[in-house]
Amino acid sequence: MASGSIIGQPVPQVTAREKVLGEARYVADISLPQMLHARVLRSPHAHARIVKIDAERARALRGVKIVATGADVPAHPWGPIVKEHRILAVEKARFAGEEVAAVVAVDEETALDALELCRVEYEELPAVLDPEEALRPGAPEVHAGTGNLAREIRIERGDVEAGLREADVVHEETYQTSHQYQAYMEPMGTVAAVDASGRLTVWAPTQSIYFTRELVAHAIGIPASQVRVIQTYVGGGFGGKLTEDANSPLCAWLAWRCGRPVRLINTRLDDFQAARVRMPARIRLRMGVKKNGEIVAKDAVIFGDNGAYSGLATEIILVTAFRLDSLYRLKNIRTLARLAYTNKIPTGAFRGFGTPQAAFALDCHLDSLAEMIGMDPVELRRRNAIRQGETSVHGWHMGSCGLTECIDKAAGAIGWKEKRAARRSGAVRRGVGIGCGLHVTANRQLADWDGSTVAIKFNEDGRVNLICGEGEIGQGATTVLSQIAATELGVPLEHVIVTKTPDTDSTPFCFGAFASRVTMLAGNAVIKAAQAARAQLLAIASEKLEVAPEDLTIEDGVIHVVGAPHRKLTVGEACVANIFRRNGEGIFTRATYDAPTVMADKQTFYGNVAPAYSFAAQAVEVEVDTETGQVRVVDVVAADDVGKALNPLAVDGQIHGAVIQGLGYALFEGLAMEGGRLLNGNLADYTLPTAEAIPRVRTILVESNDPNGPYGAKGASETPIVPTAGAVSNAIYNAVGVRITSLPITPEKVLRALKAKGAVA
Amino acid sequence: MRNFEFLEPRTVPEASRMLADHGETARPLAGGTALLLLMRQRIASPSHLVYLDGVPGLNSIHVDDRNGARIGALTRHSEIEAHPGLRAKYPVIAEMARRVANPQIRNMATIGGNLCYGDPASDPPACFLALGGEVKAVRGSQERVIRLEEFFTDYYETALAPDEILTEVRIPPLPKGSVGVYTRFTTTQAEHRPLVGVGVLLTLEGRDSCREIRVALGAATPIPVRLGKVEEFLRGKRLSAEVLAQASEIAATEIRPPSDFRGSAEYRKDVVRVLVRRAVERALAWAAH
Amino acid sequence: MAKRQIGLRVNGEEHELLVEPRRLLLDALRDDLGLTGTKRGCEEGVCGCCTVLVDGRNVKSCLMLALQAREREITTIEGLKQPDGSLHPIQEAFVQHGALQCGYCTPGFIMTAKALLDHRPPLTEEEVREGLSGNICRCTGYVNIVEAILALSRGGAAAKR
Repeated sequence: MASGSIIGQPVPQVTAREKVLGEARYVADISLPQMLHARVLRSPHAHARIVKIDAERARALRGVKIVATGADVPAHPWGPIVKEHRILAVEKARFAGEEVAAVVAVDEETALDALELCRVEYEELPAVLDPEEALRPGAPEVHAGTGNLAREIRIERGDVEAGLREADVVHEETYQTSHQYQAYMEPMGTVAAVDASGRLTVWAPTQSIYFTRELVAHAIGIPASQVRVIQTYVGGGFGGKLTEDANSPLCAWLAWRCGRPVRLINTRLDDFQAARVRMPARIRLRMGVKKNGEIVAKDAVIFGDNGAYSGLATEIILVTAFRLDSLYRLKNIRTLARLAYTNKIPTGAFRGFGTPQAAFALDCHLDSLAEMIGMDPVELRRRNAIRQGETSVHGWHMGSCGLTECIDKAAGAIGWKEKRAARRSGAVRRGVGIGCGLHVTANRQLADWDGSTVAIKFNEDGRVNLICGEGEIGQGATTVLSQIAATELGVPLEHVIVTKTPDTDSTPFCFGAFASRVTMLAGNAVIKAAQAARAQLLAIASEKLEVAPEDLTIEDGVIHVVGAPHRKLTVGEACVANIFRRNGEGIFTRATYDAPTVMADKQTFYGNVAPAYSFAAQAVEVEVDTETGQVRVVDVVAADDVGKALNPLAVDGQIHGAVIQGLGYALFEGLAMEGGRLLNGNLADYTLPTAEAIPRVRTILVESNDPNGPYGAKGASETPIVPTAGAVSNAIYNAVGVRITSLPITPEKVLRALKAKGAVA
Repeated sequence: MRNFEFLEPRTVPEASRMLADHGETARPLAGGTALLLLMRQRIASPSHLVYLDGVPGLNSIHVDDRNGARIGALTRHSEIEAHPGLRAKYPVIAEMARRVANPQIRNMATIGGNLCYGDPASDPPACFLALGGEVKAVRGSQERVIRLEEFFTDYYETALAPDEILTEVRIPPLPKGSVGVYTRFTTTQAEHRPLVGVGVLLTLEGRDSCREIRVALGAATPIPVRLGKVEEFLRGKRLSAEVLAQASEIAATEIRPPSDFRGSAEYRKDVVRVLVRRAVERALAWAAH
Repeated sequence: MAKRQIGLRVNGEEHELLVEPRRLLLDALRDDLGLTGTKRGCEEGVCGCCTVLVDGRNVKSCLMLALQAREREITTIEGLKQPDGSLHPIQEAFVQHGALQCGYCTPGFIMTAKALLDHRPPLTEEEVREGLSGNICRCTGYVNIVEAILALSRGGAAAKR
């Protein structure tokens, strides 16, 4: 890499300027001529037959264009994978919050007025609210004929029973995680419009323009190419804008029907119900370890709460079932995971995608086992940590692995030894805990392609368009890809014009921003496309300068002879020269990178599904008020193996944000429901971490230089959310000796546990 | 929200008359942070809003040794927090105002609006109740003074008549040598609204005996209340650890808090126990200083 | 309901608007004046994305009627850009410190930062964090936002413009 390279530099985001100026355009900022406004009426009941909808008065209201119900929607269901959802509920509402009617009017207030004039008659039906109960014979069915089973997974490796017999201690415990809402600051929304040629344009802050296109086209029943999806600036996604929300299909369909642009922006309450929140999991773990710390058996029974309609939870349950098995050198595993339909808000993708659930259980469990054999929990993890070059029990190959280094550094930075050994007394006590995590960088799970295609188009002035549809969701993807392009091409960063609004009409097919894939997949594609463009530049320059291409270099947008900087040509001059000659053309290259991985075996789930795996260890210090049960996080150190930090400013930022979301998961957040009805669907009652509620996150970057990653880089954005909740529970145990096994960890739970324990003075 | 007529009185009696003229469907508007939220959610849809912020003379603060503190109803929490006279003579009020909600709300919301809204999960009521606060209200051209013990009647309900306007909050001069403390509990640091708030005004006899004490509880019950049994128990006693422990037990038995998703009744009682004890401890520590 | 003619002074410019009494300041700014930099993020007045300055104080424009903002100095994010097109020091600091990711909450945070820096003496970290309690960020974990404001606070005069 050339000296002065911006790889590894803390470059500010290339999208930062418009954001701080307030000029970045988000979907709610779009205004089109003749645009109409839509609002949605949602079911107040968890399970009910829709007897009658009387919308006559609503339709008659001045300014109302459409009042749509299930009677009007296309006959076929839609969905990201399993297709069982209707654009508006037909015959039955299956969760409190399901879309039952939609109004399109000249403005939002009129649409609201019209909603209030709609009279819906429901006949309430018995509801199932717990996944285990939903699977019992005779339970009311959410979808007829399913027995409420959305997916079942069985995985076995080695011999669990033999392993348990070998163990010196065996421990069994059940853990329960909660619904966590993505709570991005920009509520989901869509603007859709049909043009004169009958093509439907959809503007939305989607994490995947091509997924949205497929979803919308299928939902309406038109060919994919009749839909054009343009990504607006995304005001936070975290998985929640990955096409499970009904917002885009509904808005697009309404625009399709009424022939005028329609805007549908979720209210916050809409969004709580529509976003596909994190799947709650009940995990019963039985694990055995030997006195020397070796984990010899892991037996897990998992119940996942799918909610009323399948989104990506059918993939998430698989992740919860087996992803973390590759964190340690496990041999004997048996897992039964069952995903159940319930009459509750559907669950789906949220940063970590099933891993945080598993990590909470596993980290709490490891600490219990460590205590039983009298071993330090950090040491237990070190003993079993997977290492570079090894292949996990599920066939995952660790081309790079900095897990042990992460563990050592996190523990060291928090002051593990001294703080664990400290004497505790008084009403307020401190403790430290640790958690570990692993995450895939990309994932060959959805289909037998896990790649990215990008294009590079040079302009006559030497500046270059980097054409990529993967999308920026705030994580810094456009910046990192620009850094890579600038480095490979030898041009200044400012000369790279990266796509800021991906468009299915002009950016190549891609999956989008999720599974921590973009740096790895699009980054490698950028390198390939840039190297091809560079070769063309050097070829034409070599002609003009009459030297061999190997004797040329490109620096700061100037191509010159190595050692003779005065013999040069600007990149712009080379571009022009490339065009204006016989059979010339503008420099325009394209490359695809598909990860060298396999899909997991459909029966055994064995196979190396990701080109790299990222690792994390987090140490948390808490202070517990034993009289009120209140927990305060005093310090948190996140050590992350990111392969290589192409942009430490961006990577650190992602870690900060993920850890705080993890603290939210552990202590501050959780949907409160009664009878399936959401009680706290607003930001006053669903409390998100504020700046004064949390400490500064300390980050340590570990660079294990992955062989597949661009310059060694792996994904970095999801791993840090994985270990946090377990580390917090472990820290509380260290502080006051009570083990909270369900999320969120509320002061009331801590106090109840302290009282039950009785021993704290 | 639904539409309404926006009325702009120039005096308090005029405002009161406007409310009388339009009856139950008219509401006064001060800062608007509570009312506009209700209106946006269509929980309240008044036909007329009587805008008080344009009426002069309602946002001044006077502090002197004879009258105590008089805070105009339209004063913002941030103005209360910053007022030099309050900081000097009633530091507990300035400190309480500093922690109400969040900075933007403190710049917009008024003390009058806060008291009239009657939201239990709020700080000023219990704090003022402990300090012997009262309010002045105007109806037509009639004025009256209402003690805070009588002002709050139920969740979101006060003793004000529909056409009555709160104009001033008054805190009497504090007894010589007394110490005021307000302490609040939120379930997490991310919460803005208290689950429990306790205000204490303690006058010592000697080093650690209680000559006089007022204890007010907020947020845990539908309306803020004086914990009369706790006060009675503590009066005249030496404030030892055992006495404080007994007092906090009495506090827990004196009240009937609700159970909801923010906390069970039992948990609220647990927190009340702890907070009453800690508030008195803090007051004792300061007073002994 | 009859609309009312009102004058709003925004970023130093006078504007005449015709609004219904129920028009929120947020919507008047975004939809009537086209100043879409101020955002809506919730319906509870909690998230702070709608924060603007009124007479130099940070307030939530979703909890104010446009009528309440008459005869006041309103400053929105659009008012911070320098006449020569360069960024205000607060905006520059946010960019350089990585104090934003998705950017949606950023205008609100910048306006709160301006109020904090304009009215208080050099700030401690605790004061900064308390001052930010009315603005929520879901992306950054607040670390770099706090750092940017502390750097500006230490820098003194440069921040005040």
